[in-house]
Amino acid sequence: MKYSLILVALLGFSACAATEPATTEVKQVAPEPTNITVVCPTGSCDKAPEIQKVEVIKPMVPEVQKVEVIKPIELAEKQKTEDDVLEADHNLIIAVVGQGVAPMNTSSPAQAYALAKRAAVADAYRLIAEKVKGVRVDGQDLIQNMMVKRSTVRTSVKAMVRNANIVETTFKEGLCEVEMEIVLSHSDFAQ
Amino acid sequence: MRSRDGNRTFSLRLCSVILFNSLALNASEFLISYSYTVKDAILHNESLLISKAMQKCSGVQQNSIILNNDGNKDLKQIISKNNEEFINYIHKLGLHIEHNEKTTNYQQASSTTLILKTTCFKVDFNDNFARIAPLK
Repeated sequence: MKYSLILVALLGFSACAATEPATTEVKQVAPEPTNITVVCPTGSCDKAPEIQKVEVIKPMVPEVQKVEVIKPIELAEKQKTEDDVLEADHNLIIAVVGQGVAPMNTSSPAQAYALAKRAAVADAYRLIAEKVKGVRVDGQDLIQNMMVKRSTVRTSVKAMVRNANIVETTFKEGLCEVEMEIVLSHSDFAQ
Repeated sequence: MRSRDGNRTFSLRLCSVILFNSLALNASEFLISYSYTVKDAILHNESLLISKAMQKCSGVQQNSIILNNDGNKDLKQIISKNNEEFINYIHKLGLHIEHNEKTTNYQQASSTTLILKTTCFKVDFNDNFARIAPLK
């Protein structure tokens, strides 16, 4: 009785093992289609060596985009011609986008919008001043034992801006963006 | 010696004096300054200071703004009722910008201040509106 139970258990186990797939398909990414032949290393295999199927997936090659190569000298010349110069018979329009954020402790969305817009307007004014008048930059690096200990950059702008116009205002997720432009004419700077 | 047409010239003179005096009393001069600071893209403080001028201002009237007024002669109240309009007008007049930015070990802190320096404004109060113009 005991032996018959063990026999039944062994038969069941062997049946489960027999249901498992004998061959497996291996997916690999290879540059070229190849057949891989499996050879028993010891030479004592009873079965004939099986040939595994290898599915070849062509790697996705992105299309090459055409890149225009500009020589540095040409680039410099191009920038030179594109630089805005204020001439006597032409007005110059300078457009900037200022950004401002609403504070955390606002009582209403309307207040948040108003405060963020005010901050964005100040940023836009600053950007116009930077473009028209320029920025003063001071830098200081402290090096100890051949290592940078502290690196400080200070920038400052001082200017007066008038007749700047708000073109567009957007408010999205707490960030307000103000597009502002100013028209410069030669007579504004005439001595 | 009186003229032959009675008190006509006298009454005309009196009327004109009253008219000019009333106009002069309705127009007054105010000193206004405005500034606000933005630190790290967040508005920190904003101040609009208005004071009646104690000395006569000199200068010519520039671009004026007309604000709605319900017979009120208090400039502070008129401006507070038309706050947004007046602030936009001040921006158009021109503001001084002082911006400072400090970057220490790649950490940035910035502060931008927009200032209208104390400027004398001539204000004409009327029944329905007030005309405000800077003197330069």
